[in-house]
Amino acid sequence: MEKDTDRAKPSQRPVWSGSITIGLVNVPVKLYTMIRDRSFSFRLLHNEDGQPLKYERVCIKDDKVVDWKDTVKGYEIRKNEFIVFKKEELDAIRPESDERIRLDKFVSLLSIDSVYFDKSYIMVPDRSEEAYSLLMTVIQQLGKAGMGKVTLRTKEYPVVVYEYKGALILTTLRYANEVVNPGDMEELTLLKKPGKKEMELAEKIIKDLSGDFDIAEYRDGYREKMEQLIETKMKGGVVVAQVPKKEEVKELMVALQETIKQLSK
Amino acid sequence: MDSLTKVSFTNLEKVLYPGLELKKSRVIEYYIRIAPRMLGSLKNRVIVMNRFPDGIDKGGFYEKDAPAGTPPWIETFNTYSQTAEREIDYVVCNNLDTLIWMANLAALEINITLSTIDNYDTPDLVLFDIDPEPPCSFDDVIDIAFSLKEKLDELNFRTFVKTSAKKGLHVVLPIREKYNFRQTREFVHQFGKFMAQESDLVVSEAKNSMDPGTIFIDYLQNTRGKTMIAPYSLRAEPKATVSTPLEWKELKKGLRPDEFNIFTVLQRKNDPWEGLLTNKQALEVE
Repeated sequence: MEKDTDRAKPSQRPVWSGSITIGLVNVPVKLYTMIRDRSFSFRLLHNEDGQPLKYERVCIKDDKVVDWKDTVKGYEIRKNEFIVFKKEELDAIRPESDERIRLDKFVSLLSIDSVYFDKSYIMVPDRSEEAYSLLMTVIQQLGKAGMGKVTLRTKEYPVVVYEYKGALILTTLRYANEVVNPGDMEELTLLKKPGKKEMELAEKIIKDLSGDFDIAEYRDGYREKMEQLIETKMKGGVVVAQVPKKEEVKELMVALQETIKQLSK
Repeated sequence: MDSLTKVSFTNLEKVLYPGLELKKSRVIEYYIRIAPRMLGSLKNRVIVMNRFPDGIDKGGFYEKDAPAGTPPWIETFNTYSQTAEREIDYVVCNNLDTLIWMANLAALEINITLSTIDNYDTPDLVLFDIDPEPPCSFDDVIDIAFSLKEKLDELNFRTFVKTSAKKGLHVVLPIREKYNFRQTREFVHQFGKFMAQESDLVVSEAKNSMDPGTIFIDYLQNTRGKTMIAPYSLRAEPKATVSTPLEWKELKKGLRPDEFNIFTVLQRKNDPWEGLLTNKQALEVE
């Protein structure tokens, strides 16, 4: 099992490559994932023999297992009422990636509401060091962030591009209609203005607790305990899954043995 | 999973050729068994995979880049692609495990460049792609292939032939790596032009390549970064045809390209292309 180290390691492969486009200027870049999820995942086992369980799609009408190839996608309009979509119909409206990040507006970096931020990627120059450095330096000095959009995989996102620790960062944003407006929460309309005395006391408490932002002060206690637990369990023996070899695998092994023999002649 | 290969097989039961009910396990088995004959011509060449993860009826996609999740032991070659307008990490297949890995990705069609990564800009293969348009028959294609061979024979060139596993034939001339693609392209084009004058069937220009009842001597694949279907690669055709190296004498009227398929090719005893890379020739005519 992989040992935890203190840093999130950079990924080996870019998730995307293309160009930042500002008017007629192109800066070729590659995008690397910036966020590495460190949460644990478990596999579900049968408690009697410790064997992994598989999921199957079961028809709710006759309880029979349905093959992937016999499935279509349905959009539920009312309870148990569906509009059916074929793969081709869905593919037809999917945006196509044109490998461009079009920036059409520069805004003050600090003016962007962080609630819209979704996923961040590190941008790396793709044989475009000069242009990259120029773009990064100029927006850093002006305190600006470029706004635009990009298609990643099959979805189009609004994005913001800005400088952070000597890199251009691309952060995908949530669409306006994906973020709840706090003013729509009823409880918040009933707030009263605090009194003067209470404010003075509250201010004192806050000032006493003031400091600098340092995310490294926070540790994932659950993760650390989990790691200890895994280590202990590994010493005491693990439940080993025995995947039964299927007929197909056996045949491939026979073929492999014969070919390897032939190749080593 | 098993010490015989580094590849972990996935979805072996997936049916890739629905008409033949052929599962992915059979495709992988084919590539394992053909490997001794196939690996030589893949060696040190850029590979472009045409993958059909959902079977040949669901359409495939070309994959030039080593895909996400490519294991670290897969060899790659980084170079700029004119068509993609960026650098690409191409897969290079120099061993059995890589071939199995591609098969497990449902890369039915394995395409190779006409140059090796050692001399990427100077081809070691010249390709005459004899590409018919209906109603031309395979018999017509054989006729034209022989008329091309005759001309090349007269100039003392030794050529190799394989089925395209679709409608045509590929005639390949191995050469010393001292010419550029412009030269090999022009070389093939000249033959096409000459033959077009001799035969009503033959067309030499790309713009006529779709004219019904013609046979195009396609010279355009002789270009940096362009690929041809590899010898012994499967095709995403209903009969699971294989691009099969043949002896010239096997090319007889009445032969059908789909006689060479996943079931029959493994029965063949010899590899007619065995001497391909030991017969590199000079293009200059003495």
